[in-house]
Amino acid sequence: MGTTYVYKRDASRLFIALRENGKRFKIYIPKDSKPVIDGVEQDIDFIEQEDFHYAFDWKGKRFHCELVSRDQNKAVVKVNGVEYKFSLESLFSYIRHGMIDKDGKQIDENNIVAPMPGKIVDIFLSEGDLVNEGEPILSLEAMKMQNEISANCNGVIRKIRVQTGQSVMKDELLVEISSIDE
Amino acid sequence: MKKRLLIANRGEIAIRITRAAHKQGMLAVVFQSEKEPDALYLNFADEIIQASDAANEKPIFLDAELIVSLALEHNVDLIHPGYGFLSENPDFAQLCLDNGINFIGPSPQLIRDMGLKTVAKSMAIKAGLPLVPGSDGAINDAAAGKEFADKIGYPVILKASAGGGGRGMRIVEKSETIERNFKSASDEALAAFSNGDMFIEKYLQNPKHLEFQIMGDKQGNVVHLGERECSLQRKHQKIIEEAPSASVTPQMRKEMGEMAVRFAKAIGYYSAGTIEFIMDEDGSYYFMEMNTRIQVEHPVTEMVTGVDLVDWQIRVALGEELTLKQEDIKINGWAIECRVNTEDPQNRFSPQTGFIDKIYFPKKDFIRIETGVQSGSVVTPYFDSMIAKIIVHGENRPDVIEKTLAALYDFSLIGLKTTVPFCRTVLQHPDFVDATYTTRWVDSVYSPEMLENEEDEMIAALSATIMYASEYLQLSSDLPTYKNDALNVWVLNKRLNY
Repeated sequence: MGTTYVYKRDASRLFIALRENGKRFKIYIPKDSKPVIDGVEQDIDFIEQEDFHYAFDWKGKRFHCELVSRDQNKAVVKVNGVEYKFSLESLFSYIRHGMIDKDGKQIDENNIVAPMPGKIVDIFLSEGDLVNEGEPILSLEAMKMQNEISANCNGVIRKIRVQTGQSVMKDELLVEISSIDE
Repeated sequence: MKKRLLIANRGEIAIRITRAAHKQGMLAVVFQSEKEPDALYLNFADEIIQASDAANEKPIFLDAELIVSLALEHNVDLIHPGYGFLSENPDFAQLCLDNGINFIGPSPQLIRDMGLKTVAKSMAIKAGLPLVPGSDGAINDAAAGKEFADKIGYPVILKASAGGGGRGMRIVEKSETIERNFKSASDEALAAFSNGDMFIEKYLQNPKHLEFQIMGDKQGNVVHLGERECSLQRKHQKIIEEAPSASVTPQMRKEMGEMAVRFAKAIGYYSAGTIEFIMDEDGSYYFMEMNTRIQVEHPVTEMVTGVDLVDWQIRVALGEELTLKQEDIKINGWAIECRVNTEDPQNRFSPQTGFIDKIYFPKKDFIRIETGVQSGSVVTPYFDSMIAKIIVHGENRPDVIEKTLAALYDFSLIGLKTTVPFCRTVLQHPDFVDATYTTRWVDSVYSPEMLENEEDEMIAALSATIMYASEYLQLSSDLPTYKNDALNVWVLNKRLNY
């Protein structure tokens, strides 16, 4: 279990910044580590904040940002003198509006089913948690062996269909995940 | 008693001239315009003359009568006009002289002559300078037009001799279409100006703008200080200048420099002056005009020659003889100037006015900053948009490009948009790097998307998100069922450690 996952459960810290040209950034701002942009933790240092001005250090360079305008969830930010426009959404409003990807189709819910009959011995995460691909969600005991059942994508746990101690059949639905991958 | 030098100008050049006045042990006197009462240059002057120009349409700097009467009232000895405003107004120069005030610049007669293009060109021909091939007089029939155009080569530009505003104007690419175009242009001119006569001139499709700096004294000595290339322009105004030019070989520099000196001597020029050339893609060059003032871009020449041009303007005005010898003037390294204009390069360079909340300039011993503003300054709509110049010196062209780029990344201005991102884009563009850029670059190559880059875009997305998130998370924490104890520890920690 030495893997460190970038998404740290609190899904309220994941946002989508959409540029007017259609380019999209998934930005996760964890409580006590560096920001994760499109699934990759970036070594960006936050240097200062003053009114509507931020400065960052990244890749040995200083980036000056200025909030130029703000209207509801739309923002114009100036970086190094050039303006970029974004509309911003929390993950929840983004899901609510339907996670339409570039091809216009709704992103599927990723259902996790029991690979074998057994008993749920532990559930590590809760509904609403942000989960990383490959991160264990629950433990299923079968034939005296404990099997960790992991997320098959990065996403939000929408529904956990089982409880600790419950016995499940093969292919029984365990967890529903809304994927945030594209 | 110290001499009193009045600066009939504002902004960065007023500060530049103040410095030169102090170098000569003079007192610098400036005007305080009511259109810009808190200007930075006021802080550097020894004496400030209040000018009541709030109700006037034109600012004090354009009011020759008022300038001279205030100058007399304040016992001014010399007037430096800077650039723009009245700097090339012969009547103003004459008015100064008539009132016993030393005008820092050439004689009023020469300012007048150089201001009239036809007069300047005929004086240039006399001094043996090449002019863009064109018809001496007007041509009034298509066959004669074709004969002439065939002789000078295509493309050519047809201009109505009585014309203006683009009417009766045609660019003709080849011999087959000249007669048809001549007729239609001539008809158009006839309809518009009741005169169908046409001029024909060789049309330079991708010209470079080159200019030679000269300095002359009242004893008849003239030297040149090499060339500047000012091809990077938008709306026919320069944004980036460099000295020397990569398009000028040592042989050409000698030839063109001698030509510039010969011309200046022939017309009896003194003070600082600039002789402009236009250069075609094949390297042929032609005299365009002469500027009789100190130019915005004079620092690049100062950086590579070590000569203080404004200082020499004052000394020449006082009657001093030039101690500069042509053989002692060496071009050392390379210099680039980037103009910082409050204009939006993402929106057709539209001017920006308002507060400069914060401005930060790079500081290095090879960087020279000329600024007319500081943090807290206001950019008014009354004056032009150039607020500062960043001039960088390097050992050679690649070195100075790299250093300038770093300097531009170090610059920051909060409050208004500037031409700095545009300059960064230019400096990284292959056309600039290999020095093939021409005066048409902005129109034919530039697009605002070129200003963007992926790193900046990602950081912009992050900033927008942090801003949105801090509100969103705070909002959520107000809900009783949702517990959230910090808006962002990552942000807060960094703030505390800073």
